[in-house]
Amino acid sequence: MKKKFAMEGVDCAVCAERMAEQIRKLPGVQNASVNFLTQKLILEAEEAQLEAILAAAQKAVGRIDKGARILL
Amino acid sequence: MTKRQKQTLARILVTAGLFAALLILEKTGRLEPLGRRQALLFLLPYGLIAYDVLFAAARRIRQGIVFDENLLMLIATIAAFCIGEYAEAVAVMLFYQIGELFQSVAVGRSRRSISDLMEIVPAYANLVQGDAVTQVDPDDVAVGDVILIKAGERVPLDGEVLTGTSLLDTAALTGESVPRRVSPGDAIVSGCINGSGALTVRVTRAFEDSAVSKILELVETASSKKAKTEQFITRFAKIYTPFVTACALLIAVIPSIVTGDWREWLQRACIFLVISCPCALVISVPLGFFGGIGAASRRGVLVKGGNFLEAAAGVTTLVFDKTGTLTQGEFRVTRLLPADGDEETLLRLAALAESGSDHPVARSILAACGETPQAGAVSEWTETPGEGVEALAAGQRLAAGNAKLMARLVIAPPQVETAGTVVYLAADGQYRGAIVIEDAIKDGAAQAIADLRAAGVRQCVMLSGDRQAAAQAVGAQLGLDAVHAELLPAEKVGRVEMLLAEKGPKDILGYVGDGINDAPVLMRADLGFAMGSLGSDAAIEAADIVIMDDDLRRLPTVVRIARKTMRIVRENIWFALGVKLLVMLLGALGIANMWMAVFADVGVSVLAILNAMRTLRIK
Repeated sequence: MKKKFAMEGVDCAVCAERMAEQIRKLPGVQNASVNFLTQKLILEAEEAQLEAILAAAQKAVGRIDKGARILL
Repeated sequence: MTKRQKQTLARILVTAGLFAALLILEKTGRLEPLGRRQALLFLLPYGLIAYDVLFAAARRIRQGIVFDENLLMLIATIAAFCIGEYAEAVAVMLFYQIGELFQSVAVGRSRRSISDLMEIVPAYANLVQGDAVTQVDPDDVAVGDVILIKAGERVPLDGEVLTGTSLLDTAALTGESVPRRVSPGDAIVSGCINGSGALTVRVTRAFEDSAVSKILELVETASSKKAKTEQFITRFAKIYTPFVTACALLIAVIPSIVTGDWREWLQRACIFLVISCPCALVISVPLGFFGGIGAASRRGVLVKGGNFLEAAAGVTTLVFDKTGTLTQGEFRVTRLLPADGDEETLLRLAALAESGSDHPVARSILAACGETPQAGAVSEWTETPGEGVEALAAGQRLAAGNAKLMARLVIAPPQVETAGTVVYLAADGQYRGAIVIEDAIKDGAAQAIADLRAAGVRQCVMLSGDRQAAAQAVGAQLGLDAVHAELLPAEKVGRVEMLLAEKGPKDILGYVGDGINDAPVLMRADLGFAMGSLGSDAAIEAADIVIMDDDLRRLPTVVRIARKTMRIVRENIWFALGVKLLVMLLGALGIANMWMAVFADVGVSVLAILNAMRTLRIK
């Protein structure tokens, strides 16, 4: 399943790449990319684990940039 | 400015004020009696401006990330403090924050102008149920539902007009400023603006399948298909910071041991740390591509990814399909050659004779005539496939058809020189004239080819399934380099493969087709351009670049946009790397100071971003 989520507060390109890296490491995630310019998270992941993945992704994003979050 | 940006600005202003006051005191010598206690005074503005960097760096350390701009910046300024360069330490942080703020504002601005381009998403649809009209989310409208679109509203879903006529503004989708007229029975595409009259429309596609969703999806995912240049920058950024940090470490340690002047060499190492962020590149390069894609989409050209924009900049050979791409794909009367000079009668009689036929030739003659003959005006109508038609009308025995028909009627018409189809007309056994029907070349096709050549395309080739004579005529008229006719679809792929084999390794071959029957060739070429015909799925799927309004003149435009984008991107890469390397070199030699390092970091970043923003405005 491939889904797009809006994000806010992604203020640096290096951080966006780091966030994507962290999210890709989460279990059940096939692929993830964070677009710094459009402020979008594109997530390819197991539908069944989506909620857990998003919660973990939200935490990872917050750890890297306190002001950034995924809009759910 | 956002709230976060305003807070930063306030901090910058307060710090700058404090810092200026301290500098004046220092220069006038009033701080001298304090000695090393000056550091405490400078710590005040430093703490004010750097506290968020401090927290960010602390977070990074906890995550085990060492090569982070915040952390390295912090180390550099603390080191500066330790060797007594208080003013420099505060200045580095101050300018770093100013640069970051500027960057964030500039990026925010480009984001907004990009999202303005995407302002094609309808907010609601007026659903008609019986007499009631309710505003609903376009997502909730099903195929087959009837919606009402008032004047000035955006068309929310693709559909077919049931009642009403109006002028549709398709500029947001195609860049075309001439409105298109619609009336009952016409298909309309979401994203257009209904100009004049209210329309009721039966929905033919759900929102997620509608043109608007498809286009948006395309543009938003475009930036995930990264250009080679962009991939290079991402990889480069990963090794750049560790590399520069390692250099800093070497410079701080080895010469200090050799010369014993650790203070001097520590200072030089700090310069490296300040330049350790690849920010200028990682922001400005993707921004440049994004802007180029945005500029193209504003002109009705959808580019599916940065990689395709990069390829379009290098197009040297363009291969065109004929029918529907270079020509309009529909037959039209182009010449009337009456035997007695009366064009109108010739056309009217021909239309009468053909009025019973459904052949494309007959339809084009009827269309040219404009009026449909009344039922009953024609009798004894017969059609002979491969020859033509005969009928009794207007008191005359009419025959309209090709040379074979004339031969059967023992009429010898004059030769007509043409690549198109000739229809001869005879009345009561007398030759009355000929009508030439051709698939007309699109408006602006010749202009487009000339502009493409000016933009650097060296070879323009046409492939066609049509007869040799018809294809050659089009080729000659447009001044193409080569024409290959009478090709089966599979042979088109073969031809393109031959051309691919001939070209140089850096040359790019583009194929321009209508996307429906050309899919295999579009895939095979380095770069596939499709004539999009507003919302045609097949075209949008198969091609890399979609020309939304079928206008060939968009081709030179997109090549130009691509070239300019690449130039701006390259400028940024060379400029940013050049300045950074130069300052590092001067820093290692002891010529550059902290101020130059700050410029090489944030100054370069800001300039590169400003340069990249120019792509948004490419005409």
